Amino acid sequence: MGTAVSIELADDRPAGELRAMVADVCDWLHEVDERFSTYRESSEVNRFQRRELGLADLSGDMRHVLDACGDLWRATDGYFDAYACGPLDPSGYVKGWSVEVASARLAAAGSTRHYINAGGDIRARGGPWQVGIRHPWQADRLSWVLDVTDAAVATSGSYERGAHVRNPRTGRPAAGLRSVTVVGPDLALADAYATAGLAMGEAGLAWLAGLAAEGYESAAVTDDGRAFTSSRLPAAV
Amino acid sequence: MRRSTAAAVGTLTGAALIAGVRLSVSVPEQPPAAPPAVDLAGSGAAASAEPTPSKSAKSAKENKENNENPDAERTEEAPPDSGLQDGTYRGAGAKNPYGTIQVSIKVTGGKIVAADATYPTANNSAIINPPAIAQLKQATLRAQSADVDAVSGATFTSDAYVRSLQAALDQAGG
Repeated sequence: MGTAVSIELADDRPAGELRAMVADVCDWLHEVDERFSTYRESSEVNRFQRRELGLADLSGDMRHVLDACGDLWRATDGYFDAYACGPLDPSGYVKGWSVEVASARLAAAGSTRHYINAGGDIRARGGPWQVGIRHPWQADRLSWVLDVTDAAVATSGSYERGAHVRNPRTGRPAAGLRSVTVVGPDLALADAYATAGLAMGEAGLAWLAGLAAEGYESAAVTDDGRAFTSSRLPAAV
Repeated sequence: MRRSTAAAVGTLTGAALIAGVRLSVSVPEQPPAAPPAVDLAGSGAAASAEPTPSKSAKSAKENKENNENPDAERTEEAPPDSGLQDGTYRGAGAKNPYGTIQVSIKVTGGKIVAADATYPTANNSAIINPPAIAQLKQATLRAQSADVDAVSGATFTSDAYVRSLQAALDQAGG
């Protein structure tokens, strides 16, 4: 299994500079994979899980990830749970966070207009960018198009890998929502909120609506095809 | 404006390394080279017949069912800007827990002008709420006519990536 990462740089810069920026992002994502993958025996996550590393031995990045997972567990009423499947698995936060960092590195290198799409979760800088949301039943269609500038768009759905998101309260596969998209300033949070909303099922609709107060808009489709959007979703059409 | 697009199929938290990086710097105004055939039907369904909203998405499997515009044939070589060829298309049946929904659309002048869906009528499909699906259908109809830069969706695997609209966008090189 793997995740595809698409990087688009729309800066008017020499090709060599753009290539160097892309290479830097790829290096960083490889580094994240080495350090945080639960599939790698030698990763920091697995060494911490095996108690080969104590809290005092952890890198700053790892501490940040653990802190953020704890914060999200509280913010989502326990529905975002890095321990949902037993052993520590912070992947649900690491993916979005690593792309946030990658986008910040591009910005630091001078890029003002780019996006990174990691497995359907997008961090856009500059803009406006037109971001389509995949139709929850048909892979080649869109259900909405968003107009985003300096924003993240994350989508969680039960359609791609089956019911892989579990309701941590019941241990059973999440049911009720087919697709949840969250738009906001930070991709790691948007991604976690989308996953938590999906795990909550239809009760997640009200919870998602409440996120608007924090600057996170949302769109959701129920298992029976009802479509919902928060009032300030930046829909383009 | 220069654009640089890289599509790297790999992993952040999985087992596989990034397998390849494609980098291209191209003039956006140039028509994209014909992309390699990509099955955009999704779910590995055999009978793909969907035009797609992407200018790059010239699926190799388009089956014109009701070609009302004689110009449509010529667009094989010179597609309109939207990449949508005139005609009526029937989508691959999309399975969901309640049955199979099949969407057909009508394209005129490169724009989607009508969409319709057939709903399962057997078994427990009565719990589907057609008016509710119609809401999604309306949003979908509006969305198809837009030109997008990127696509958000739950595409976890590299297999899913290959079938995704984002992959088609990447192949167009911006």
